[in-house]
Amino acid sequence: MGAPVIEARALTKTFGVTPVLREVEFKLAQGRGALLIGGNGSGKSTLMRILAGLSQPTAGEALIFGEDCRRLGLANRKRIGMLTHQSWLYPNLTARENLQFYAELYALHDGPALATRWIERVGLGASANERVRGFSRGMEQRLSIARTMMPNPELLLLDEPFAALDRDAVAIAAELIRAAIGGGATVLITAHAPIDIETEIESHQIVRGKVIRSREHNRPSLRTSAGA
Amino acid sequence: MNSAIRNGLGWSTLALMLTSLFMVFEWVPTEAEQGIVQRIFYFHVPLAWVAFAAFGIVAIAGVFYLWLKDQIWDDLGYAAAESGMVFCTLVLITGSIWAKPIWGIWWTWDSRLTTTFILWLLYGGYLMLRAMADDTPEVARFGAVIGIVAALDVPVVILSVRLWRTIHPAVIVTRAGEHGLEDPRMVVTLLVSLTAFTALFAWILMLRFSQLRVRSRLNGMRREAALIEAAARDY
Amino acid sequence: MGAFAAILRKDLRLEIRSGQSTLALFALSLLIMVVLVFALDPQPSDRAHDAAGALWVALVFAGMLGATRSILAENENGCMRALTLGPIDAAALYGAKLTGGFIFMAIAELAAVILIVLFFNLEIGAALIRLAPPLILGTLGFAALATLLAAISGRTRAGDLLLPVLAVPLFVPALIAGVKASEAALLGLPLAAEGQWLGILIGFDVLFVTLGALLFEHVIRED
Repeated sequence: MGAPVIEARALTKTFGVTPVLREVEFKLAQGRGALLIGGNGSGKSTLMRILAGLSQPTAGEALIFGEDCRRLGLANRKRIGMLTHQSWLYPNLTARENLQFYAELYALHDGPALATRWIERVGLGASANERVRGFSRGMEQRLSIARTMMPNPELLLLDEPFAALDRDAVAIAAELIRAAIGGGATVLITAHAPIDIETEIESHQIVRGKVIRSREHNRPSLRTSAGA
Repeated sequence: MNSAIRNGLGWSTLALMLTSLFMVFEWVPTEAEQGIVQRIFYFHVPLAWVAFAAFGIVAIAGVFYLWLKDQIWDDLGYAAAESGMVFCTLVLITGSIWAKPIWGIWWTWDSRLTTTFILWLLYGGYLMLRAMADDTPEVARFGAVIGIVAALDVPVVILSVRLWRTIHPAVIVTRAGEHGLEDPRMVVTLLVSLTAFTALFAWILMLRFSQLRVRSRLNGMRREAALIEAAARDY
Repeated sequence: MGAFAAILRKDLRLEIRSGQSTLALFALSLLIMVVLVFALDPQPSDRAHDAAGALWVALVFAGMLGATRSILAENENGCMRALTLGPIDAAALYGAKLTGGFIFMAIAELAAVILIVLFFNLEIGAALIRLAPPLILGTLGFAALATLLAAISGRTRAGDLLLPVLAVPLFVPALIAGVKASEAALLGLPLAAEGQWLGILIGFDVLFVTLGALLFEHVIRED
C-alpha cells in the first residue's frame, strides 16, 4: 500500500460560529479510492475545498502529499485535480478552447490533440466547437470531468461527480474513474447516496461535520449501472 | 487588556490635557502675525501627527496579521483606523477654523491640508471596506492588505503634492510652524500638546481595542459552544 | 511562463470574443470627453492644460472598467479557484491579470488621445509622442492598483462602489504627476520639466507592481 496522500487530523472548520467540520480524522493511501457519503450541509464540499487548499481550516491540519494544505506549494498543486459544483469553465469559450486553455495551463504535451481526445471520451464530440454558455448542466458537468482528468492528476478530488449526469454519462464517468484508479491515482469522491462504480473503493459517511469510517468496503455488485 | 494600564493612561491623559489647555490658552504668548486664532496651531499640529502615526499602526498591524494570522492584530488595526479617522477629521476641521478668520477662506489646497485630505479619504476607504465586507470571512485579510497599500502610498502622496504645490503655491495654513517658533514657550507648549494628544489617542485606541478583543474572544467562545453543542447532538 | 502566456492569451481571446466591451470603453471615453468639453468650456489659450486634464479623467474612469475586466471575469463559474489551485504562482497570476488590464486600458486611452486631439485642437507631432511615457506609466500604475483592488472588491458587497473609493485616493500621486507631465509634454517644455514627474510615476509603478505581486496571494485566498 502506498503512503497516505491525504491525512486529515482533527480538522475543524467553522463559518462564523457555525461548525461545518468537527475534528475530522481521515486518511487515504496512495492508489486507493474512497467514497464519502453525506447529505446536504454535511460538510463534504467544505472538506474537499480544504483538502485542495482552497479554504483554510479553523483548527487541526490536513497533509496532502505530506504538505500542509494551508501552504500547498506549486509542485503539489500540480498533482491535484478537482471537480466542484462550479464548472470552472469559461462560458464564452468553446468546449475545445476551454480544454486547450487548461492543457496549456498545465503544460500538457500536444494540447489541441489532447483536448479533442478528451472531448470525444466524454461524449461531447458533436458540441466541441460550441460555446459552453449554451451547454446544458449535464454537458457542462461532462466537460468539467474532462477538464479535471485531462492532466492525469495523482490525486482526484471529485465533489458529487455524478450530479446532473444521465445514465450514459454516469457510465462514462465511472469508467474514467476506474481507469484513473487503475493508473495509480488516488481518488476521493463525495455523493449523496452510495454509488457503485464497479471497482473496490472504501466507503465512509460524513454526518454533520464528522466523518464516520465504515468497516465495509464498497465491493462491486452485479448491478451493471451506477445510480447517482 | 489590563484595565489598570488603561485607567492609568486615562488619568495621565486628563492631566496632560488640562496642562496643555492651560498652556495654550493662558501661558503661551500670542503670535504677532496671526493673533489669537494662531493658538489653534497647538491643536492642529498634534492632531495631524497622531492622524498620520495612527495609519502607520494600521499598516504594521496589517503586516503582523498577514504573517501571524492572529485575530488580535486585526483588532488592533481596526481600532487604530477608527480612532485615527476621528483625529484626521479634526485636523481638517481645525485647519478650516484656522484658515477662515486669517485668510478668509474655508479651505485651501496647500500641500499639508491636501495630503491630510487624501489620508482622510484613505481612512474612509478602509472603513468603508470593513463596513461592506463585514459578512465575508476574509474581511480582516482584506483590511490588512488595504492598510499596507495605503500606508505605503502616503509618502508618495506627500512627495507628489509637495512638488505640485511648489509650482502653484496656495495659501499656506501652517506658516507658524515653518518659520520657527520665536518664543521658547511656544516650543514647550507645542511639545506638551503633542504629548497630550498622543496620550489621548493611546487611551482611545486602548478603549476601542479592548472592546474589539472582547468581541473576538466572545466569538471564539460561541464557536466552542457550537462545537460542543453539535457534539452533544451526536448522542 | 507558460501558464502566464496561457492566461493572457485566454483573456485576450475572451476580450476579442465579446467585442462589445471594447466598444463600450471607446464609448465611455467619448462620453467623458463630451461632458468635460461642455462642463469646462476650454479656451484655446489653455489647450494643453485642459487636454491633459481631460485625458487623465478619461484614464481614471475608463480604467476603472477596463483594468478590472480581466480580474472580474474570473468570478464566473468559479474560474478563479481553478487558477488558485492551478500550477501558477500568485505573483505570476497577478502579472497576467495586470497585463490584461493594462492592454484593455491602453485601448481605451488610444481613443481618448484621438479625441483630445480632435476636441482640443492639438498638433500631431513631437508633443503627442512625448505624451506616451506618462500615459504608459500612469496606465501601468492604475492597472497595478486596480488588479489588486478588484480582487477584493469583486468579493465584497457594493464592490462597484468600493473600487473607486479605494482606487482614487491611492492613485492621486500618479494622477498629479501624470497630468503635470502630460501638460509639460503638450506644451513642448524642456524634458527637465517633465523629468521629476516621470520620476514619481516610475517610483509609483515600481512600488505598486511589487506590492501587488507580494500581496495578491493574500487577496485571492479564501477563508
